Amino acid sequence: MKKVGKPMFFIVAAIIIGLTALSFLGVSTTYGDVPTKYIKGVDDIRWGIDIRGGVDVTFSPPEGYDATDEEMAAAESIIKVRMVSQNITDSEIYTDYNKDRIIVRFPWKEDETDFDPEDAVKELGETALLTFKEGSNGPVVIEGKHVQEAYVALDPQTGNPVVALTLTSEGATLFSEATGRLKGQTISIWMDDTKISEPVVNDQITDGNATISSPNFTTEEAKDLADKINGGALPFKLQTENFSSISATLGLGSRDAMVTAGIIAFILVSIFIIIMYRLPGVIACIALMGQVAGSIACITGFFPNIPSFTLTLPGIAGIILSIGMGVDANVITSERIKEELKVGKTIDGAIDSGFSRTFAAIFDGNITMVLVAVVLMGAFGPPGSIFARLLAPIFRWFGSSATGAIYSFGYTLVVGVIFNFLMGVTASRLMLKSISKFKAFKNPWLYGGVKNND
Amino acid sequence: MINIVGRKKIWFTISSAIIIVTILVALIFSVELDIQFRGGSIVTYSHSGELDKGDFAKTIESVLGGEKVSIQEQRDVTTGEMNLVVTLSSKQGISPEKYGEINDALWAAYPQNNIEVVSTSNVDASIGHDFLIKSVVAVAAASVLMIVYIAFRFRKIGGWSAGVFSVLALLHDVMFVFAVFVFFRIPLNDSFIAVVLTILGYSINATVVIYDRIRENKRLLGTKVSLAELVNTSINQSLTRSINTTISTVIAMGTVCVVAIVYNVSSIITFAAPMLVGMIAGAYSSVCIAGPLWVTWQEHKLAKKHG
Repeated sequence: MKKVGKPMFFIVAAIIIGLTALSFLGVSTTYGDVPTKYIKGVDDIRWGIDIRGGVDVTFSPPEGYDATDEEMAAAESIIKVRMVSQNITDSEIYTDYNKDRIIVRFPWKEDETDFDPEDAVKELGETALLTFKEGSNGPVVIEGKHVQEAYVALDPQTGNPVVALTLTSEGATLFSEATGRLKGQTISIWMDDTKISEPVVNDQITDGNATISSPNFTTEEAKDLADKINGGALPFKLQTENFSSISATLGLGSRDAMVTAGIIAFILVSIFIIIMYRLPGVIACIALMGQVAGSIACITGFFPNIPSFTLTLPGIAGIILSIGMGVDANVITSERIKEELKVGKTIDGAIDSGFSRTFAAIFDGNITMVLVAVVLMGAFGPPGSIFARLLAPIFRWFGSSATGAIYSFGYTLVVGVIFNFLMGVTASRLMLKSISKFKAFKNPWLYGGVKNND
Repeated sequence: MINIVGRKKIWFTISSAIIIVTILVALIFSVELDIQFRGGSIVTYSHSGELDKGDFAKTIESVLGGEKVSIQEQRDVTTGEMNLVVTLSSKQGISPEKYGEINDALWAAYPQNNIEVVSTSNVDASIGHDFLIKSVVAVAAASVLMIVYIAFRFRKIGGWSAGVFSVLALLHDVMFVFAVFVFFRIPLNDSFIAVVLTILGYSINATVVIYDRIRENKRLLGTKVSLAELVNTSINQSLTRSINTTISTVIAMGTVCVVAIVYNVSSIITFAAPMLVGMIAGAYSSVCIAGPLWVTWQEHKLAKKHG
């Protein structure tokens, strides 16, 4: 085993304390009136709708209508546009292409006092009204029913992605007349009351096959526009299969209660573990703090490559549960250290074999928790999540879950377990090895052995 | 050293008794499924002043064309006032339009009572059914994963049987979690599935630590001792760990449970309480059921070979 020097304890402890402070407080500056976030803290946590209130709704095409994937994508894009036009920027929208369902979750707007889920839901599911207007807001040229389909194509000359439109014969006649008249001017495309594009008419289009191009169109942007145009040409109205809502005041009280529970649990577990294991117990508490900080960091989007995650009430319960389970690695090793001391090993030797001999058990135990947490996330997560895709061969014939709160529990459980492994094994070993080098900490009693009287 | 393997009859009897009683109670009183699984509608209203529940129900029923609704009172977490929880009897859920009509009728009938919607929950029966099947598949998939993993990791000490028996011990834990739902008359919901999956991992985790010790001791002691003795020694060596880890998780989950009860966070109570029971059952089954059961099986196999 590598030599661990005396300063190591302070290095590891400082890193953990630093991580804790940063992940909880975040780093932001306010220059004039413009606040800039460098690192996100707990204030930036995106709370689930079970906490801050909101609506959870599942839409589907009318019964008996077998929608194509394109139609579902188009329907999703309508909802997205409507969300933005209602100033709801924090929505989650998932489309289940196997079951033809669209799940939408959105919180109440912050200034909203009149919580009316029924109106919001009704509005989202309405058939979109697509119009092509003269200029930026002139008379209507053609409507959604005149568009047969819109799709992404490549411009044969430039190779850039464009949106190709196929119009119905009635649409082609109307469009031919308008494009003849408006050459050099613009035609704007509207969904409901939102303008989604305003291309310039280059030529008269007589055959009903138009293309919309832009020098800096990406394929995604082109697809997005095509989806929206298709959305306006959808032959069906979305139906509400499920909807649930919760008022904005109910959940916040519950959240505060759960946060209190978390703090109490942390303190109680720390007291217990210090009484049971003395010095390794203290080390375990520092490691536990690191574990909680790591979990929080994975939720706030602290690490640049891990996006932020919605935290729900069961999600908080998951963090607390991982506090309880988190000391397991330390319990296993501390127990072993005690045992090794009993058979006459030196402190150094006992710590070494305490960690090396228990590694397999801790690893196996953690793997089983990771496996169930992944299944949990797959079962309760949105259809597009990585875990759902991983488990798609098993779940593809069953619909998406009727609830979103549990997904967050799976997530906090899995990050809790991973950080527990890092902290309980690596960080704890480094800290314990280094602190045992100090003369003051050479008494076996501190490690659960017999008191040293010399 | 405590002779845990030797007292296996006691453990098996206690566990079987609890499981049988649970099944009987479940069969006699039947277990309800939450609307997440069976479909249906629940709406919670807050109000001020006094309201007659019967009249309130009649107002809603008249909009629904005579469909029966049931009403319960529940204390609000934040306001401390009593809310009315309305459950519709239909399993199909209601449309947002119908729901709007109900609210309009209530506002018209009780203009003085500041009636507001606190929460609504509306699930279509077919989605609920799909979700139920998916949940069951998830539990089955997780169980299979566990058996395969244990079989692979412990192939030197008879992995497959070790895997199967640890999952049998799991079924035992699941029955204990189920018992909480049965005895407290909580409808089976997504919490049930989440708890079952978590207990699956938790209990296997505890069992793994013991199997790991068995593996190590087998290497150290070889065939010098009997299988029962080997397993019993291993269980005892890891007993303090099993107890202490259980205590710390019980402290954590117990705190959640107590706080949830004090503040009446019902979605967490139905989650934390079964979790707590499952954890205790999980620790107990890892120590008293999984190992002894496996010994019984191995001895039975041995007896067959020689007999």
